[in-house]
Amino acid sequence: MNKTAFRLILAAVVIVIAASALFVAVGLMKKPGSRVVILSDGEVIETIDLLSSPDREFVIETELGSNTIRIKDGRISVIDADCPDRTCVSMGELSSELTPIVCLPHRLIIRFIGD
Amino acid sequence: MKTKRLVRLSLLTAISLVIFVVETRIPSLVPIPGVKLGLANIITVVAVYLCRPWEAALMLTVRIILGSIFCGTPLSFLYSIAGGALCLSASIASKSVIPETRMWLTSIIGAIFHNLGQILAAALILRTASVFVYLPVLMITGSIAGLFCGFCAQLIVKRIHTL
Repeated sequence: MNKTAFRLILAAVVIVIAASALFVAVGLMKKPGSRVVILSDGEVIETIDLLSSPDREFVIETELGSNTIRIKDGRISVIDADCPDRTCVSMGELSSELTPIVCLPHRLIIRFIGD
Repeated sequence: MKTKRLVRLSLLTAISLVIFVVETRIPSLVPIPGVKLGLANIITVVAVYLCRPWEAALMLTVRIILGSIFCGTPLSFLYSIAGGALCLSASIASKSVIPETRMWLTSIIGAIFHNLGQILAAALILRTASVFVYLPVLMITGSIAGLFCGFCAQLIVKRIHTL
């Protein structure tokens, strides 16, 4: 057993985890803005200001499938999707810059953008 | 001797495939894409320590292909294979430095690289770098899952040696 190499690896892992924890902590403390962008297949298809947007529901349809998006009380969420995993639906409302709503099968991303 | 290795490898593949299939039936506690325990990777770590590198690679490849056929999509296959390739390379590289009594560290490194591979695949498939904001979250959840799986693997290897 090479003790120095082992300690170096352990230190590297600890640094990676600590740095990630710092990022997450800062990201959670930061209040997200109100501007949200919807990306489909890497292209911006809509930019929405949640504060001024009226409550509405709309469907984003591509050749890969469809996602139903709801904006209500200044919050945005995916309420229906015809993909097999429906992770985007279970993610609920978009709450942090760190965790955009992603629908991997439909290549859809909803995330906050800086002002 | 050759038959023994073949049987052992087949057994490990079958076990990890069963764990993989059963785990897809368990709803995720954290609804974030990419976050899961990855219990099948217990067997990957075991294989890295008990088998030759190419044998472990073979086992993982077969498990990912069959797992995607049984309960996946062509897209989930891409994420799995990208994560699996990075995870396995990192684990095999770490194995030469990390002894069996510290397997949990190998497992954590594997988990970190697994998530890294998945994010890279997602960035390529979604054609946007914005998925990288997930990296810190996945590093932390991955490390916890990796630590757990690593301890499980350590227990298994200890018992296999006493057989």
